[in-house]
Amino acid sequence: MNPIEIKHLSKTYIRRPFLGKRTEKKVLQDVSLTLKEGRVLGLVGESGCGKSTLCKVLLGIEPFSAGEVWINGKNRNHLSRAERKDLCRQMQVVFQDPYSSLDPRMNVYQLLSEPLAIHGLYPNKQERKNFLRKLLEAVGLSVSFFPRYPHEFSGGQRQRICIARALALNPRILLADEPVSALDVSVQAQILNLIKKIKEERNLSVLFVTHDFAVARFLCDDIAVMHDGQIVECAPAEELFTHAVHPYTQKLLRAVPKPNPALRDTWLASAREENV
Amino acid sequence: MSTEENCILSVENLQVSFRTDEGEFPILRGLSYTLPTGRILAVVGESGSGKTVHALALLRLLPPAAHITGGKVIYQGKDIVHLTKKELRNIRGGKISMIFQDPSASLNPVLTIGEQLTETILAHKKITKQVAQKQAAALLEKVGIRESEKRLQEYPFQFSGGMCQRVMIAMALALKPDVLIADEPTTALDVTIQAQILRLMRDLQKESGMSAIFITHNLAVVAGVADEVLVLYGGLCMEQAEVNELFASPLHPYTQGLLKSLVSVDKKKDRLPAIEGQPPIPSEIGKGCPFAPRCTQALPICFEQCPPLTVKGTHRVRCWLQEGK
Repeated sequence: MNPIEIKHLSKTYIRRPFLGKRTEKKVLQDVSLTLKEGRVLGLVGESGCGKSTLCKVLLGIEPFSAGEVWINGKNRNHLSRAERKDLCRQMQVVFQDPYSSLDPRMNVYQLLSEPLAIHGLYPNKQERKNFLRKLLEAVGLSVSFFPRYPHEFSGGQRQRICIARALALNPRILLADEPVSALDVSVQAQILNLIKKIKEERNLSVLFVTHDFAVARFLCDDIAVMHDGQIVECAPAEELFTHAVHPYTQKLLRAVPKPNPALRDTWLASAREENV
Repeated sequence: MSTEENCILSVENLQVSFRTDEGEFPILRGLSYTLPTGRILAVVGESGSGKTVHALALLRLLPPAAHITGGKVIYQGKDIVHLTKKELRNIRGGKISMIFQDPSASLNPVLTIGEQLTETILAHKKITKQVAQKQAAALLEKVGIRESEKRLQEYPFQFSGGMCQRVMIAMALALKPDVLIADEPTTALDVTIQAQILRLMRDLQKESGMSAIFITHNLAVVAGVADEVLVLYGGLCMEQAEVNELFASPLHPYTQGLLKSLVSVDKKKDRLPAIEGQPPIPSEIGKGCPFAPRCTQALPICFEQCPPLTVKGTHRVRCWLQEGK
């Protein structure tokens, strides 16, 4: 049983203006993807390709038009209320912007204990506190953070809090939607190490959405490349980086800047003027 | 370093402070460098390092809360810090121009691209509108936008992010400036577009012999465009060197840490050797070296006294570990 199985998923946005014609925009077209147990699947694409929409569909924030989404062997559209709540325990998410994804009026303890309260876990106050302390330590923060509020923290620390909150329910699946792109360079590496460590310790299955191939190479076991709402190539990471088949993947890989001045000319030469 | 004649812009001990309710604190704490003619200098730094403030200070575009507390910016023998508003108007856009991070936010949404381009040209040159229109069209062609006559009639929302940035570049180059300041020009763009824009900027820069200051946080982008690199941290220059030198043999522990912690698309790493800790908040920097709290090789003196910027071969570096070596 695969944690996530997407079969022929399509999503169309329909615009019905007051005047004028009804227009359709296909944002996801016939997407089939499998996230395997204990693996990290990277979803890579440029802005507007539909990768965040796919995330929202998985979370149930957005409906979809056709196809099937199976999570932990259950069809997402045929769930009872209780099963939907249980799904929230099994699948958690970390968003891109750690500034807007924490309620500014809640302190760290409240932020982390909210999911536990909703699901009725650790009703004993002392046990709950002990559990949350261990959780904070697991993401590299100390217990002194409990009474403090989000505005007191830097971007990297906030992202750690978001990760701790996602892990509070001990999920099997983690969706990470560009979790490091809003962070400073020297902090990105810390968060990437943390996600990798947590994934190994807890045997999480991770869907990692990113636009950055270098980040994907570090973290992902499998990679799916998305373009205009379609999966153009999906392969184990090492294979994709050494033998990319699809021309779009090749073009993207060539465009990634390399931190080596000696490779400058080949990189700049790769940027042929196209579609201007 | 370069001699007087072949340097177009020189910055001497530039200091900028922010005024807040809690008092005044420095964000740029004495920055000095020279920009050689026809070269691209990259200024690298994280948030709060003062890189954007430095760019704004060069053209005195700082927000009201910030002000220059000391230092000089010498351009053509004159100190920009003490120019009158009228003299400044001539330099801004005409001699030194600037490109910002978010291209769609830098264009006026209710004016056509053509109106905005000709406005820039007409503000500085005494020519007719028709001539300016022709020049604007030629500029668009130059930055790789086809059917320029038609596209001049269009509005910014009809352009993609990459195209908007091309328009910004066209506007910045309209008056053939001596210096182009680009503040994170590709951060908001996709990788394929980023490569195109950077290539375009480098080609145009070579063609016109213009000098450029390129502000970014992305070391891979630096490797792709810059001739020389200046690393900013906590409002101070930590290291400056020629680009190949800096990547091959960084001297400062911060530069070394940054380079080591980079993820690479060319090889798989198991763990990233990350720099622990957070970048400093400008108001909380103490008397020592701003990087000392995160530095694995810090000495007792690092917390007490800020090291001077010294010349080491082809590098300029600010670190006690390099002193007396």
